[in-house]
Amino acid sequence: MTLSDLDLGAVQLPPEATRLRQEVRDFLAAERAAGTVLGRPDSWLTGWDPAFTRRLARRGWIGMTLPRAYGGGGRSNLERYVVIEELLAAGAPVSAHWVADRQAGPTILRHGTEAQRNHFLPRIAAGACFFSIGMSEQDSGSDLASVRTRAERTANGWRLTGTKMWTGGAHVNDHAIVLARTDESEDRHAGLSQFIVDLRDPHVRVEPIRLLSGEHTFNYCHLEGVELTDEALLGRPGDGWRQVTGELALERSGPERFLSTLPLLSALVGQLQRTGACSPEQQARVGRLTARLASIRQLSLGVAAALAAGRPADVQAALVKDLGTRFEGELVNEVREILPIAARFDATRGSYPELLATAILHAPGYTLRGGTNEILRGIITRGLELSR
Amino acid sequence: MSIEPCAESVAEPLSEPLSERAVDALPPLDTAPTALVALAREAGYRSTPAPLAETLLVARPLLAAAGLAVPDGQLTVAAGPLDVRFTHVDTDSRVGPSGAAGTDDALRVSGTLHRVPWARAAEAAVVLTEGPGGGPVLFLLEATEWRQVAGTNLAGEPRDDLVLLDVAVPAERVRRIPAALVREATWRSGLARAALIAGAARRCVELTVDHTSSRVQFGRPLSHFQAVKQEEAKLVEEAALVAAAVEAAASALSEPDSAEFTAWLAAAQAAASVAEITRIAHQLHGAIGFTELSPLRLATTRMWSWRDEDSGERAWQQRIGRHVLDGGSGGLWQQVTGG
Ligand SMILES: Cc1cc2nc3c(=O)[nH]c(=O)nc-3n(C[C@H](O)[C@H](O)[C@H](O)COP(=O)(O)OP(=O)(O)OC[C@H]3O[C@@H](n4cnc5c(N)ncnc54)[C@H](O)[C@@H]3O)c2cc1C
Repeated sequence: MTLSDLDLGAVQLPPEATRLRQEVRDFLAAERAAGTVLGRPDSWLTGWDPAFTRRLARRGWIGMTLPRAYGGGGRSNLERYVVIEELLAAGAPVSAHWVADRQAGPTILRHGTEAQRNHFLPRIAAGACFFSIGMSEQDSGSDLASVRTRAERTANGWRLTGTKMWTGGAHVNDHAIVLARTDESEDRHAGLSQFIVDLRDPHVRVEPIRLLSGEHTFNYCHLEGVELTDEALLGRPGDGWRQVTGELALERSGPERFLSTLPLLSALVGQLQRTGACSPEQQARVGRLTARLASIRQLSLGVAAALAAGRPADVQAALVKDLGTRFEGELVNEVREILPIAARFDATRGSYPELLATAILHAPGYTLRGGTNEILRGIITRGLELSR
Repeated sequence: MSIEPCAESVAEPLSEPLSERAVDALPPLDTAPTALVALAREAGYRSTPAPLAETLLVARPLLAAAGLAVPDGQLTVAAGPLDVRFTHVDTDSRVGPSGAAGTDDALRVSGTLHRVPWARAAEAAVVLTEGPGGGPVLFLLEATEWRQVAGTNLAGEPRDDLVLLDVAVPAERVRRIPAALVREATWRSGLARAALIAGAARRCVELTVDHTSSRVQFGRPLSHFQAVKQEEAKLVEEAALVAAAVEAAASALSEPDSAEFTAWLAAAQAAASVAEITRIAHQLHGAIGFTELSPLRLATTRMWSWRDEDSGERAWQQRIGRHVLDGGSGGLWQQVTGG
């Protein structure tokens, strides 16, 4: 990588993307009119609405990039980008299928057996099969390669033991992709493998961990000797680290890394418009946020286009995620200055004080999830070292 | 052509010497807009001692849009109130704010244009002002027609006052222009400044990466230390952000619907990023960056001036904010996605 590779250039979205964007906007307008809850910050973490998910699936907006042969849409990454950025900007409840659509589907397509693809991919695209990420543990956060969950060989397959932590949606989802140690080799990165685990298995015990807001999305996921057949192994034994790294690239590069709090800014703009005259100070601050948002989006589109063209963009994705997630938090601080209204979590749901409270209570997570910003910056400077 | 480089840039230890090409040979008039923005970025990167960005991105396109011939050489741009009268007054006329119309557009002009970029290095200046009959006019002034009072910005770049003493501007160098072209002059200047900042930001990144990998403290290169890495990554990010905003505006130059707003965004973001980029670059350079011993100042002092020139950071932000707030609900996201 060289410094020039960080200059991703402008992206011109194809004309079909413009049409698609309008279709999504029309769909969202109808949903809004029908009373679907929209406009919420961080809706990809806590906006759980399987019925909404199925309506999206009927439009072909889940599993869009999966091949048609597996029930997917066979569409481009940039088309998917347009659809999800519209959903996120609108604060639509997309958390049910989020992980399945973003990473489980593409990972299974890439590493799964034909049987796994035929089983899971059509269900994912239909919005009927939801996934959790089973990576982190109590003692393995940034240092993911230190995971202790073990899978031991049995006569018929594997037995899985350990406890995953922070497992989002494990209490409502169908499956988790679990990273486990299959070989106690010297090299920590070798000897890891991934498994597709049925969360309804009697040997899986899910225990809630409440967020700052009291909401329930996190869990402990106790794997108490779960018996797995070989069909549960995802990819090759010992390839878990390489696979998980690829999965993190999918997890890090999307528009959810700068749009989580946009609905709050949109709500602020609405609030200011209703109150009438805005001071030059308020205008300038809204303008500053808009310029930063638009610039981060350009970078993010550049990463999406690079990935779509098959160019490596791990460093660029880390860069956008650090900028974008810091922006998500800055936005929350800034709207408080622009319009000093006290946040109230117990105010009417959807009212401005309640949206602000949600964004504040979720803020610490923006720069942690999917790899902390400090770790991302390490990826960027490693990229720089390689360029020297 | 008279070019007076700033004293400091003569001795500047740039890795690549300033090429004659960058200063003297201007690209042809039909060069693609994105290539012109790239040249302006390069001028910012190299601290080129000439009004290259002004010539390519502002003066030439304005002259072309106004239907005036584009002269050879470097051009600068100036706007502001002047005392403007018709040279040939139509004695029959009783109309117009100045009481009389002209038989043609020839003008006599007096007054001062303030802090004009690189005036002393320019062959001519494109001037926008209020015409004698009301409504904006654009005219071309030749370098021999003004008296110059030398001034400089924080980087020592020329920002000269042009004093006009009853200058006669022939009709073939004057055009009445629509208000939209006055707006275009503003956003084009903002884009030119943003492109320069993007180039200078790139230079800050390169100099800082070179410095932290070669300077040794505690027996290791600075780039080994976590605290240094963390800041260096943020520097790289902020520079990439400016580049992305400028590239978006460059590609929007050929789209009349979005060119103006996208240029505002680039101008606002470039100006706003200057503080973080220069803060980190200087912090990681240590004391040497605070002196003339390091070329870092060539980039950072320019950036500190550029963010305030051509409207300035705050004014760009206000324009964007007003536009968004006037845009109805959902307006913000629609503006950002271009409709
Ligand atoms: C909202 C949310 C959702 C999540 N969902 C899931 C999920 O569904 N499934 C899942 O498996 N995990 C999930 N996670 C866990 C997430 O991946 C971890 O939080 C993350 O990897 C960081 O690990 P940690 O929290 O243990 O922090 P730690 O690794 O303990 O880090 C604590 C602090 O130290 C810093 N630090 C650590 N190492 C270094 C270093 N080498 N250099 C510099 N600084 C360092 C970190 O940046 C951080 O600031 C989620 C987290 C959040 C917040």
